[in-house]
Amino acid sequence: MIDHAGEPQPILDAAGLTRIHGRGCPDCLALTGDGPGTNICPRCRSVVALAGVSFRLWPGEILGVMGESGSGKSSLARLLHLDDRATAGQAWWRGEDDDGSALRLDLAATDGWRARWLRDRRLGMVHQNPHLGLNFAVSAGGNIAERLLCAGEGSFAAVRRRALGLLARTEVPRGRVDHKPGQFSGGMQQRVQIARALAPQPSLLLLDEVTTGLDCSVQARILDLILEIQRETGVAMVVVTHDLGVVRLLAGRTLVMRHGRVVESGLTDQILEDPQHPYTQQLVSAAL
Amino acid sequence: MDADSFGFLDAGARRELRRACFKAVCIPGYQVPYASREMPIARGFGTGGLQITLSLLTPEDTLKVIDQGADDSVNAVNLRRFLLATCPGVSATTRTGEATVIQTRHRVPETALRSGQIMVYQVPYPDPLQIVEPSESRRRRMHAEGDYARLWVRLYEDLVRFREVAISNRYPARVHGRYVIDPSPIPRWDLPKLHRSAALHLFGAGREKKVYAVPPWTVVEPLAFSDVPFQVEAFRRADGGRHACTRCGADDSYLDEIPLPGGGRRWQCNDQDHCDGRLAARSPAGAAP
Repeated sequence: MIDHAGEPQPILDAAGLTRIHGRGCPDCLALTGDGPGTNICPRCRSVVALAGVSFRLWPGEILGVMGESGSGKSSLARLLHLDDRATAGQAWWRGEDDDGSALRLDLAATDGWRARWLRDRRLGMVHQNPHLGLNFAVSAGGNIAERLLCAGEGSFAAVRRRALGLLARTEVPRGRVDHKPGQFSGGMQQRVQIARALAPQPSLLLLDEVTTGLDCSVQARILDLILEIQRETGVAMVVVTHDLGVVRLLAGRTLVMRHGRVVESGLTDQILEDPQHPYTQQLVSAAL
Repeated sequence: MDADSFGFLDAGARRELRRACFKAVCIPGYQVPYASREMPIARGFGTGGLQITLSLLTPEDTLKVIDQGADDSVNAVNLRRFLLATCPGVSATTRTGEATVIQTRHRVPETALRSGQIMVYQVPYPDPLQIVEPSESRRRRMHAEGDYARLWVRLYEDLVRFREVAISNRYPARVHGRYVIDPSPIPRWDLPKLHRSAALHLFGAGREKKVYAVPPWTVVEPLAFSDVPFQVEAFRRADGGRHACTRCGADDSYLDEIPLPGGGRRWQCNDQDHCDGRLAARSPAGAAP
């Protein structure tokens, strides 16, 4: 993504993303966070899922988002996938419209039609739970077909060909294209999810704890697959995980989150080798 | 006479239904909610269509009621009797060409409809997305966002499993390039008749409390892949030819397959008026036997 002056531009530029569940009060942000050690406002009992999260994601980059349960990682992924709305802040996405013209949209303020368009054609999401990302009532091929049809593909032969190609690329045997996801193993369900997410050739892929619950050998194969796909397609990725091994392998830069705040950010190697924030130090030492 | 106080419905109900119909015409294919009244027939027996017909009829109207193409089946006879008894001055006919309002259950007449006629359909399930999404709130969002991918996936799955689309009736169709409708359980044969039809088509679901419309001359396109075109019933014989009506000889109408007592089958026009009309035109006396 290059601007008119020839400067590279981020594909995503988030500034001050905030999400408060509940009615909220003027003191919500001041009374929660790392200092008070909670993300529940003691005054109004609202949950501050995200508070002032800012970051940039560059084309072709993999950004890791790390933190314990309840730190706001998945809330951030849901905001970026337009499954939820930010209470405040902006998230500027840069890309191309259907006619190839440059487009800049605030993900935090899109209308329903644009949100649907972005989800159908420009964003991909792989969930931790395959039941959230796949329709278990239709075949693996049907799941991929749904994304292709959403993106405007109108030919049955083309849909079928592309579904077979994507399944082959994600190492699902072609002969299982007409099997339902319930007949697959957990690792294969994740691969079908990845194939489905990649179907419309998105510019941004969100991976929410994709290897959680899988055994080590299957995890390794999935992570290798993600890396290969990223190198082939150049798709930018946000990888949400609590697993330090995953961010070490995949992410070039990492955000560390706690109580809905980014407590540390930087190059992944730097964060893992020389953590500055006490919470990051605790995370890294716990992993070792 | 005040048009709002005529027939079985009270003036308020009639006005509300007419408003719902106007809105449905203004937004082709959009399901307009309305307060479905209690009728002297059970829900599921055509109360939606009946309420629309009651709201439309005036003493100048000529009414035709058909059930699966027949004017004399139990459902059609009972509805016609009720409508005539409660709407004084309205006349009844079995001829499609003479009717101004045609209430139908699951068929569109073979005779081409003309401008000024109104077709009223009895609809059991108004939402085409019901078969792929159980939650009504999610279905509303899908309609609002024009998200019909799951219906397309249904076609995809049919083509993969059966090598053809296996939807025999209630075939989803896009109206005016926007909303996808459930055209009530009419066979696929009837769907092309809605495309740029001269008549107004109103669909009423009494149990589900929804009205939607296909206004005259509106584009109605069945969902179909670009390389797998939409097809109607072929009525093919084993030798590849087409079955014809054993009564009038028509080989261009929707046929019923009737098993014979001694074995075997015969084929007959489903649209009784159309079949009678062809017979009358052929017989020297000019009347159907």
